[in-house]
Amino acid sequence: MTVDLEKILRPIETPLIKFPAKYMTLANGQEMVIRQVEREDIPDILPHIEPLIHCERDFYNVVAARLYAELLAYYSYRVQDEYVLIAQIDGELAAIVNGRIVSPEIGMSYHTFSLRRGLRVGAHAFATKMEYHMDILKQKEVLIVAESGIGFRRWMIEYKLEKRFDIPHELGGCPSWSLTKELFERARATLVVGRRPVPEHLMAKAKAGILAPSDPPKAPEDLLAATRSMLDSTGTSLIEMKKKLGAK
Amino acid sequence: MELNIYAYKCKRCGQLHYPYKTICKKCGDNDHNEFDIVALPKNGKLLTYTILYNPPSDFEVAALCLGIVELEGGMRITGQLDIKNPKTGMKVAGKVEVVRIDGYNKHLGMVFYQE
Amino acid sequence: MREVYVAGIGITSFSRLEYPLVEIAAYPALMALRDAGIKKVDQVYVANMGSGRINGQTGLASAVVDHLSLTPAAAETIENGPASGASAIKQGYMAIASGMYNTVMVIGAERMREVNPLEATDFVATLTHPLAEYIYGITLPSLAGMFARMYMDKYGVTSRHLAMVAVKNHKNALDNFYAHLHEDITIEGILDSPEASTNNPFVADPLRFYDVCPVSDGGACIILTTAENMKKLNKPMIKLAGIGQATDTHCVHERNDPTDLLAVREAARQSFAMAKIKPENVDVAELHDAFTILEIAESEEVGFFKKGEGHKALEKGLTKIGGKLPINPSGGLKAKGHPVGATGVGQAHEIVLQLRGGAAKRQVKNAKIGFTCNFGGFGNNVVCLTFIKEN
Repeated sequence: MTVDLEKILRPIETPLIKFPAKYMTLANGQEMVIRQVEREDIPDILPHIEPLIHCERDFYNVVAARLYAELLAYYSYRVQDEYVLIAQIDGELAAIVNGRIVSPEIGMSYHTFSLRRGLRVGAHAFATKMEYHMDILKQKEVLIVAESGIGFRRWMIEYKLEKRFDIPHELGGCPSWSLTKELFERARATLVVGRRPVPEHLMAKAKAGILAPSDPPKAPEDLLAATRSMLDSTGTSLIEMKKKLGAK
Repeated sequence: MELNIYAYKCKRCGQLHYPYKTICKKCGDNDHNEFDIVALPKNGKLLTYTILYNPPSDFEVAALCLGIVELEGGMRITGQLDIKNPKTGMKVAGKVEVVRIDGYNKHLGMVFYQE
Repeated sequence: MREVYVAGIGITSFSRLEYPLVEIAAYPALMALRDAGIKKVDQVYVANMGSGRINGQTGLASAVVDHLSLTPAAAETIENGPASGASAIKQGYMAIASGMYNTVMVIGAERMREVNPLEATDFVATLTHPLAEYIYGITLPSLAGMFARMYMDKYGVTSRHLAMVAVKNHKNALDNFYAHLHEDITIEGILDSPEASTNNPFVADPLRFYDVCPVSDGGACIILTTAENMKKLNKPMIKLAGIGQATDTHCVHERNDPTDLLAVREAARQSFAMAKIKPENVDVAELHDAFTILEIAESEEVGFFKKGEGHKALEKGLTKIGGKLPINPSGGLKAKGHPVGATGVGQAHEIVLQLRGGAAKRQVKNAKIGFTCNFGGFGNNVVCLTFIKEN
């Protein structure tokens, strides 16, 4: 019976065109490769996300926890038509973006997660996700929500998304916004970059292994440099608060 | 009625000021801070400009073109440019229009067009 | 007039700080008190530009002096736009030199990241002329953009020179724990690669993203005292030897030659004259590079290089650490960060650290004379300080 049940639980997958890998030079001169990963790569990615579930800064904890679950669900065939793109610098995992295809015309953006702060890594990764929906999958619009102020500003300022408050987003919470084909075309010149094909040595390095980021985001430790999460009015400091109260 | 932006001309020494000052910058005479108002000319040449890609949030445009114009007669003014491809030194002509809306207040200022 | 020395210094990171403004002011003060080895001061000056508007708090100095349990010391808040910091140091100098007080604490503190960057930029823009500039949507980056275009045309400065300033200051900031940006950018990444225009988009054409300082929170503190008190403290004798301040027209368009920064020229001249030195005697300088073009322009106006030759000195590497006259070893406003009211005190902090020989990897060798230029408005109120190390 279990076999039959799995058949019921596992969604039917639509065959999708794969994202053709690309690369770009960052502000620091390093080269970043963005490519699609498959189910079998997920176990190599999850260990790099897990530590950030405990990083209380800029909603890293929230996004890491949700992304971890989404990738796990993808790995275990529990989400229909999900895809995962990753950005790597010298093999190190720099960013993860994922999303889902709702219908041939509508895409749903899930998360954009930078493991390397600065250098517009997140912006490049987000733009690439939109490029996948619009240029590769030829969709008409992508539904988006933001969980962090950084994300909200990014697309409010850079893409000027349209409101779609009547459509609920699968991530829940905040109302949906939409990147339409027209807005994407307007942003294309300034935001969508990258070169193809990826030179062999770069691709080989990227595929050799998804390495842990050498300088992942951390909550600052120095009191002077620090966020004092005890006083954090946004209520994201539960873990830190418990530690301080001595609870396990 | 044609709208103007005014310069302030010192009644004693004739020095022009834009914007207004309480004491004349040339004769500095504080017994005599009287000025005649003189409409600024509207034609001039573009001295410098910038395209501001993140204008203040009450401007609902993606980019704002701003410049300093040297008007006929030598007075200078800062203003908005409604010009597609501005170039320093180009001839421009100004119009007084609403340049910023802040709640119920509408601010008038000089907008320059290509001549 | 009595001579004035630096007894203690302290600083926070210039980045986003998620604790109240009063504490951003108080932590560096605590560090400076410990550094000086003292417990009481006669007067506290707090340099700040935006607490009333951004943080909804007025009377900042009174709150800070109580937070530090320094009551009943005298306390005032000093606001002079982005030059508030150096202005407050000037007030501290005058209080001691006049004989009114013996030990004065000067704090600079700002918390701009409490609001979003557009609001922060709009707040700083309120220091432009309300009727002749602000109403058009003029912000500080747009004034800098217009200034840069004229300057580049007139003196042959190119985007590459501007990028070189950014790269140099970002490199310096890598060795500064307290700097806002630790990004090792390259010319290739921000100017030459096919992706450069996205990595480094225009902000106020011709200025790009990496030509403009970040919006930072941060605090810094410097404690000033008399020569007599210094004898008891066993600290290096760093003298606040020269102060100059000058103003210029409120509107940039009113200046005879808008590419001249006359207030910088005059403030620097006064500061050098008071310290009885010449610009060429300076070993290390912190200039107000809120925009990369300003580092080049100020390096000329203060007299380090001839007008129109600052960019050539930059090309030759004279302004790097190890060069003839290192400029902005801390990373400058560009990479160390620009918490507006605190910036001037932050600059003085770096110079004192350099003169004490405590700047670790970014130390300028044998630095004896240091100089800061704190630029308020768009050059309409400038304060320059000269510090000299005595043996």
